[in-house]
Amino acid sequence: MTSQTVDQGTAGFSGHTRPPIWRNTSVLKWLVQIVVLVAVLAVFWFLAAQARTNLSAKGIPVSYDWLDEPANIQLGEGIQTVDTEERRLTMSRALWVGMVNTLRIASIGIIVSTIIGITVGIARLSKNWLARKVSSIYVETLRNVPVLVQIILWLAILGSLGKLTADSGPIPGWVIVSQKGISLPRVFLADGFYQFVSMVLIAMIPVWFVRRSLKRRQDREGGNTHATGITLGAFVVIAVIAWFANPVMAFLGPVFGGVESAWGSIPQGLMQLVLSVAALGGAVLWIKRFLDSRRTPAGLAKLIDDDWFRMIFAVVAALLAVLVLVRGWPGLSSWIVNSGSDLFGVISDKFGDGRGSRPIDAMKPTLSEGRFVNYGPTGLTMTVFYASLFFGLVFYTSSFIAEIVRGGILAVPAGQSEAAAALGLSRSQALRKVVLPQAFRVIMPPLGNQYLNITKNTSLGIAVGFSEIVQVGQTVYNKNSQTLAVFSIYMVFYLACSLSISSVVNTINRRLAIVER
Amino acid sequence: MSIADQALTEEMASRRDMIVCRGVKKWFGDFQALAGVDITVKDREVMVVLGPSGSGKSTLIRCINRLEVHQEGEIVVDGVEMTNDMRNIEKIRSEVGMVFQQFNLFPHLTVLDNITLAPIWVRKRARVEAEAKAMELLERVGIPEQANKFPGQLSGGQQQRVAIARSLAMEPKIMLFDEPTSALDPEMISEVLDVMKDLARGGMTMIVVTHEMGFAREVADRLVFMESGDVVEVGTPEHFFTNPTEERTKLFLSQIL
Repeated sequence: MTSQTVDQGTAGFSGHTRPPIWRNTSVLKWLVQIVVLVAVLAVFWFLAAQARTNLSAKGIPVSYDWLDEPANIQLGEGIQTVDTEERRLTMSRALWVGMVNTLRIASIGIIVSTIIGITVGIARLSKNWLARKVSSIYVETLRNVPVLVQIILWLAILGSLGKLTADSGPIPGWVIVSQKGISLPRVFLADGFYQFVSMVLIAMIPVWFVRRSLKRRQDREGGNTHATGITLGAFVVIAVIAWFANPVMAFLGPVFGGVESAWGSIPQGLMQLVLSVAALGGAVLWIKRFLDSRRTPAGLAKLIDDDWFRMIFAVVAALLAVLVLVRGWPGLSSWIVNSGSDLFGVISDKFGDGRGSRPIDAMKPTLSEGRFVNYGPTGLTMTVFYASLFFGLVFYTSSFIAEIVRGGILAVPAGQSEAAAALGLSRSQALRKVVLPQAFRVIMPPLGNQYLNITKNTSLGIAVGFSEIVQVGQTVYNKNSQTLAVFSIYMVFYLACSLSISSVVNTINRRLAIVER
Repeated sequence: MSIADQALTEEMASRRDMIVCRGVKKWFGDFQALAGVDITVKDREVMVVLGPSGSGKSTLIRCINRLEVHQEGEIVVDGVEMTNDMRNIEKIRSEVGMVFQQFNLFPHLTVLDNITLAPIWVRKRARVEAEAKAMELLERVGIPEQANKFPGQLSGGQQQRVAIARSLAMEPKIMLFDEPTSALDPEMISEVLDVMKDLARGGMTMIVVTHEMGFAREVADRLVFMESGDVVEVGTPEHFFTNPTEERTKLFLSQIL
């Protein structure tokens, strides 16, 4: 059926005689892709089957049954470190704690090293002799010492710091650097936060309209209407008012409660219908936009076989989705009904009676039996293990990012800044409007590599005993010898991280691409 | 009469001085690029600078809007002396437009944004106003239909015309042209030269570094021949193309014509 449609379609547009299938490049292109996919899967299947048989012969069959077993592992830190009645610390939970620790250090590390890297990179090109020299020394020192050495050095430095003798209760003072780590007060979202945010959002709607009309007036009449300044000022005033007045928003609790019960009473059949229509509508919309993109001023461009394949796949995918919704998994619709209702219930609860006071509060870290309580109602602490890994990775990576930024700026031809200067732009205007936008095009791909590196280098936490995924996993397979299973989990986890990062970087790259012809 | 004021007609001599260079010297390391240049450019004058490569032509006009910093002598642009004073530099740059051999358009911005960037950010013009002005300039250089394209989508001649429009958007009193047609294919040179002739007829003060002798003969009020960072000869086109005085000028012209 598929090939017939293609036949008619293409014949209708091109009028050429079709080549036989074995010579048709677009059919062959797809065929080759399918064959390669099948071949790759077959190879993997073969290798996995081999490993499975060989390991079974040795008496250690690969399985994932152990994931639900109790872990009995000592975790240094993380969202859960001890086994309790309410929350069992199973093997899978322990691995999850490790993953969260990895993500925690990788995500904050990416942000901090980018900020330091860009600053140092620009400073290396500064006209200021001191800034140039200091940043050169920074880069040359940090990138030439192996990152593992730096991490262990940080551990040694932090470990030799003053002893914190208090045993329990909040820490004395605000910032404490000690052998237990670095402790800061933690700012947290208190009871009134949701009321506060909703009040600010509602009050900002008219401000936003004012801002838009101010910007239009600036475009029309020139000069400076201070649109951004006025918006920020209004935001500050509104935030101050909302800080104290936020309890008035408590009426939203019953409103969301009403939405909760209304959503919950949607019959399953209706939800299935709505979702099916959405799937089909999405496909139709996609095809329409696709055809629009193929339109030239002279009318609809000739569609090649590839285009027809894409449109047919869009329809097939939509039909499959409908089939799944109606026949294959009717539970999905009722799940959406129930969990949607639950979500509104949770929101309604946030606006519940008696909540609504200070939206944001701060807390000092609490000591319990000489150790910091890491999570729960307490301050912000970085253990020495976290801190040494964090500083090691961030300083090391930022030195590379600085070089990437410097290279990117140097890659923009000197003529660009000269043209900007000749037009009368100041140095900082030239940097912001002309040089950096072009430099980012060069910077982005290698910067993405550094993000991948910092994420993967978090596995060096094993050297200082930081409970990231590799360290936790090693403890797991030392206990149950499921090396292959644990490594498969590592691989999937790191692959997911890397693919997420590179998809973000690729999207930005496409946005920055310079149009030529 | 000093060398700077040679070959001025009486009418021209009575005009205001727009650019005055006195004993301008510039070194790049050990290499002396300008060896004490004296030049006066009058209001609404078109001065064409000739000379072999490495003779300091480009360096001279780059000193006039401080893309290069001269080390000795003085440069006065429309009564403002070029010093280390930021205010003077800004003032001079806002009066002097420059067109480069390699166009130096901003490739990440559309043609329209290239032209409006400086008026909006330096002159604080309204976007609507700046865009209307930009469209007017694009009409003048003959490519209004390219307004929303990116520089990479244009031909060399079109890019150079956009670059001229971009400079004109700042409403300069003086335009400097640094070999504006040297990077162009032969069939595109005339479209750029036409725009420049149009500007000259409109009374713009211009210094043009070029090898286009036809243009020099037709448009220039005075020609300057430079060699080794020094002004060798100043004269009217007629003087230059019929009986130049200096041997070096004769040699150069015989090679280039």
